[in-house]
Amino acid sequence: MRPSFFHHLHPPTIPAQQSRWRYTLGAGGIALFLALVLGFTGILEMFYYAPNPQDAPLSVQTIAFHVPFGWLIRNLHYWAAQLLVIFSAIHLIRVVFTGAYARSRRFNYLLGMVLFVLVILFDFTGYILRWDIDICWPLLTGTNLIKTIPWVGGFLYMLAIGGDQACTTAMLRFYTWHIFGLSLVFIIILIWHIFRVRRDGGIAVAPPPYRRNTTRIDRSELLRREVLAMLIVGAFLILLASFFPAPIAPAITGKPDPAAETEAPWFFLWVQQMLKWGSPLLWGVGVPLLFLVLISGIPYFLPQTDPSELGRWFPKSNRAAQILLAAIGTLIVILSLIFLLTRTKI
Amino acid sequence: MASSTLSKIMFASGFVMIALAVGWWKEGQRPTPIALTPTLTGKTEYCLTCHSDLPEISPSHPIKTFGCVICHGGERLALDAHLAHASMRGGNNPSDLSVVEQSCGGEACHSGSPADQRDHIQRVKTSLQATYTGAITSVLFTFGAQPDLTPRYATRTVEDENKTKTGISALLAFSDANQSNPSIQKFAENCLNCHLWSNALPGPAYARFSGCAACHTPLSHNQPTLSDAKSTPVFVHQLTTAIPYTQCNACHNRGNYNLRDMTFQERTDQPSDRLHNYYQPIAQFTRCEYTLDCIDCHTRIEAMGDGDIHPNQKEFQYVRCQTCHGTPTTLPLTKTLSDPKDIAFRLALLNPVVKLNIGDTILVTEKGEPLWNTRVLPDGTYELIGKATGIHFNFKPVMGSGCTQNGQDQSSTYCHQCHSVKR
Repeated sequence: MRPSFFHHLHPPTIPAQQSRWRYTLGAGGIALFLALVLGFTGILEMFYYAPNPQDAPLSVQTIAFHVPFGWLIRNLHYWAAQLLVIFSAIHLIRVVFTGAYARSRRFNYLLGMVLFVLVILFDFTGYILRWDIDICWPLLTGTNLIKTIPWVGGFLYMLAIGGDQACTTAMLRFYTWHIFGLSLVFIIILIWHIFRVRRDGGIAVAPPPYRRNTTRIDRSELLRREVLAMLIVGAFLILLASFFPAPIAPAITGKPDPAAETEAPWFFLWVQQMLKWGSPLLWGVGVPLLFLVLISGIPYFLPQTDPSELGRWFPKSNRAAQILLAAIGTLIVILSLIFLLTRTKI
Repeated sequence: MASSTLSKIMFASGFVMIALAVGWWKEGQRPTPIALTPTLTGKTEYCLTCHSDLPEISPSHPIKTFGCVICHGGERLALDAHLAHASMRGGNNPSDLSVVEQSCGGEACHSGSPADQRDHIQRVKTSLQATYTGAITSVLFTFGAQPDLTPRYATRTVEDENKTKTGISALLAFSDANQSNPSIQKFAENCLNCHLWSNALPGPAYARFSGCAACHTPLSHNQPTLSDAKSTPVFVHQLTTAIPYTQCNACHNRGNYNLRDMTFQERTDQPSDRLHNYYQPIAQFTRCEYTLDCIDCHTRIEAMGDGDIHPNQKEFQYVRCQTCHGTPTTLPLTKTLSDPKDIAFRLALLNPVVKLNIGDTILVTEKGEPLWNTRVLPDGTYELIGKATGIHFNFKPVMGSGCTQNGQDQSSTYCHQCHSVKR
């Protein structure tokens, strides 16, 4: 069969051992598929979404209740976004727990971290674009946190909000960031990230002398496996979207009211829990930033994976990195659980 | 390996087809929206998708003009019941006094100027039915919490922006937080249920809404009254000025407060007819007091206030026997309608039990309020048309009747000495 465009996006062959689901978990590919779903459903939503505070929540309701299959598109967009955070995290965990970031790949690891942060920012800005009463607390808290950063806080706040209050100007800024600013950077870095995977030799694998299994699969099989993953995830997404609607709440009338305390997006619940302890700069900015720096610095500060151990789970040589990521991950889960178990209302 | 993966792809494709079929089925499950674009707002709303069976709330609020959202709030585009109702003002009662300004207010609606008598909301909020200040003052004075009967407190802080003729410019919100007397604390606990800010006591006999709807959304006429007090009350989607006495009874004829232990004691009798349908066994009545509805005599200002803060009901309620019947030496006050903008025409239009014409002569109160449902007949007698029943009643003036009353004494006990009916 003559190779198609899609075949050419892949290397001619890849190691069979490292192309198994249980090694890659399919996380990177699934994340890419989810990003494509988000782009497609997002463009469809743009046909109806009105980026101004008066009309935004009504246009969301129009999509959810009046546009044929609008509810499905919106729910797909929502669930794809949530799954993207999850699969990006799984991808990160896989890379660290297999030590795949070693040496030449550590720059690509950083690109991956940038993509992960962009995914979080996408989720946050998308969450805000609903402009209903449930977004008030995250909007005002999130944007006010920026202000607490010494020296550059004011500038960053103006960059994100575009005015001295999180209302009209913020709406348009969030929209532009979500649709254009973040997307542009995301697409460039995503392509760069994928390019670097190819340039760095495909899936991380031990040098030939250390390989126990030298068989390889060709790109047709790889493509088939990718199609299989897309079909399974796609069906799962459609079922999720059909039975579990994306959150929606009454429109904000007037200015956002911080008194109507609601929950942050689920991936920021741990930050919301820490904010109960006081200093917004320390708990809301400092600690999350520290976690980000620590995780991003893994390939630079911690012992590298021994090449002989590449291509399998839990190499001994990068145990420190595994422990660090597990500790941070566990902390984030525990903090989120504490928040969920101690919340009083909602 | 390839065929194994391909068969998995075939299987997964089937899975996708099923998922798509589910999505298609869910699309078909969505309700067919019923749109309405009220002329007042020009904004399409979809409340009728579920509520098309509701009767129009009143001829003065036609749905094609008002729609639902302008009064009720809510999410006009939502087709999910939870979301659609989440931001409704006052739950199912947009006339609750906490939200009435947004729901019913506006210069062209019910918070207009006193001059054209569209200041309903301002008046109601300062009225005794909302402030409850007479009861609060009496209790505080009786139990030594204030030195005199000067009104100081109300159910909510209230101000009279027009600096009233009564000299009471403001009342503070009553709270028992600083009251040590257990009777006052009990009063706060048990006795602050009878005002327009409050929801009704539990039980079908007390059934009413708060705010404007407490009176203007009466129980369905076919629904339980006192004789059927255990059945479930049913309110209909209605605003009316034809308020039957049964609605007044939800507050005013339910029992007594026991001032010793500050508890409300519900009446326990089972009256068989309206004459006996009053909780004070010793009270006396004239015929008109149990054949007419309360609103046939008591005016809108008595019920809804005049914009001033008044100290208590006794000093404010002013319609008496002489208002309609006059005295041995004077006829009741009358007015011949000559101005088409006279408020009497508007009131008669809202509750068209009588057709008023220019040139008709009607009775008026001492304060000049038109008793628009009355008229002077050519033979010098009078006619009253029941506002809630439409029944015509004829009555005569005292003058020339042989009545020997002292015209200055208008206490009810005085007139009742001769005119009470036997119970």
